[in-house]
Amino acid sequence: MINRFIRYIQRYKGWFGGGAALCLLIGLYTGLLASPPDYYQGEVVRIMYVHVPLAHTSLLAYSVLFGGSIWYLWKRDPLVDNMCQAAATITAMFTGLALVTGSIWAKPTWNTWWTWDPRLVSFAVLLLILAGYMMLRRLVDDPDREGKYAAVLAIVGGVDLPIIKFSVEWWRTLHQPMSFSTRGVSISDDLLVPLLFMSAGCWLLFAYMLMIRTQMLYLTELLQAKKGRLLSQTHFSQSAQ
Amino acid sequence: MNWFYARWGLIGGVALLLTILTYQDYHTRLSTVPLQTMPGSSSSSKLVRIQGMVKSGTLSGDVEGGQATFEFTEGPVTIPVVYQGPPPENLRELKVLVLVGHWDAQTNVFQAQDTALLNNYGYVAAAYGVSFLALVWMLFAMSQRVMVLFKEIKESKLYEPEVDSLAKKQ
Amino acid sequence: MPKNNKKIAIIVSVLLIAGSLGYLAFGNFGQNIVYFVTPSEVKAFTPESYTKKVRVGGMVVKGTVKTQAEPVGLTFELTDGATTIPVTFEGIPPDLFKEGQGAVVEGQWMNGQTFHSTMIMAKHSEDYMPMELKRAGVELPKKDFMKTLSQ
Repeated sequence: MINRFIRYIQRYKGWFGGGAALCLLIGLYTGLLASPPDYYQGEVVRIMYVHVPLAHTSLLAYSVLFGGSIWYLWKRDPLVDNMCQAAATITAMFTGLALVTGSIWAKPTWNTWWTWDPRLVSFAVLLLILAGYMMLRRLVDDPDREGKYAAVLAIVGGVDLPIIKFSVEWWRTLHQPMSFSTRGVSISDDLLVPLLFMSAGCWLLFAYMLMIRTQMLYLTELLQAKKGRLLSQTHFSQSAQ
Repeated sequence: MNWFYARWGLIGGVALLLTILTYQDYHTRLSTVPLQTMPGSSSSSKLVRIQGMVKSGTLSGDVEGGQATFEFTEGPVTIPVVYQGPPPENLRELKVLVLVGHWDAQTNVFQAQDTALLNNYGYVAAAYGVSFLALVWMLFAMSQRVMVLFKEIKESKLYEPEVDSLAKKQ
Repeated sequence: MPKNNKKIAIIVSVLLIAGSLGYLAFGNFGQNIVYFVTPSEVKAFTPESYTKKVRVGGMVVKGTVKTQAEPVGLTFELTDGATTIPVTFEGIPPDLFKEGQGAVVEGQWMNGQTFHSTMIMAKHSEDYMPMELKRAGVELPKKDFMKTLSQ
């Protein structure tokens, strides 16, 4: 019998996938073709439409991991543990890509691939935390302890989130400050449209990927449990003969 | 199962179409002609885009007002330029940039009427390529795995009651 | 993997995470690690610091950029609003380097008089708009550049 939530996901995930595809398609079309270049950066400003959504989706994704970890410590639901594990892998993917696209954007604008700027360092630390998280999960054998340790690590690592977010306001940085702030929006409408569509697309894509990976982890465990039963059953029947 | 691959085929097709459109757009809007071909060519009112660097110590005129003369260089070739147009946001010495204008064969001067930034489109292509290939590849692998898992679980109905009781114990 | 190795691996991974978090907490919170110094702080350097390699951030003063052809290079002035220092650089400056915009330069405060930079990084602000709007004189809300230096 497959878990109720996994069946709900199977029923409704298509809406998220379709929504993500539609938003990303509009975002890509407007971002690459229909929007004008920036007055100061020229064509390379188009990298912003992929870098910024990837970056804040990874912060959102880590927040989901953070919330899920608290929930797991509280309720000890194995499905929540699966969800956390799924969220960590996907967050690592988004974080890694945010760093890579940031680096590609930095070369033509700042004139360097990498520099020890607070925003960049705190973001790289997020990737390190996630690498540690995934390593920890591989190393602990007992599933209950694995989930518990991983959840604690994810909650402690959550300290990095506000540091990343406000690093450009607290410290001297090469990285530009936030474009959305109490000062207002400092992106003109033409350039805002692709950014908003790509952002919505990335959020939906994250939700969709999270659903699928949770399903994947749950179903793998379920199948293993079945096969384990199957094996012990054959073993039992053989020894009985 | 066939629907699954049909859907991914559609995604691949749309991605390919978008790539072709972007490449065409780049060609019509951003490609430049080599600066070396300018001297000696006949006058033409057709606008061309040339890329080069503003030579040090040659920029003069009322730059902020949209009037300037300077020497533009690319490799061994240097050509004189007269700029007349909207106030150029990006004109300074030692700057690599793109000029839009035409060659005047009578005076041997390039008449520029606009500036554009260096077309380093490769960075844009790299950023989009890397992120979308990675994300789509990950999503495809996961979706395919889930599909196979559902199928395997459905096929191994044999010990269903026992798995059920196992789930209840947990 | 044998059990002992596993334990060591766990300890290493936890140390790695704790270390990086600690670096964040104490390195940056305490302001011991500053990404760049300001021209005012450079002016206050004692002679021992003259050979030290530092990063200086500031705004390129309008009208001070002078280029030279042989060898290719330029000089300009960098300011934080209060103090201005002269900077020299050999080579072609980066694409987005511009008067009135921010720049972070790496190099040495030679003899306490001129800053010899070996690398220029261009700092751009957070406003983005097409050329037509810029030429029409539109100004989008953005953080005052001098304020990004004072923190």
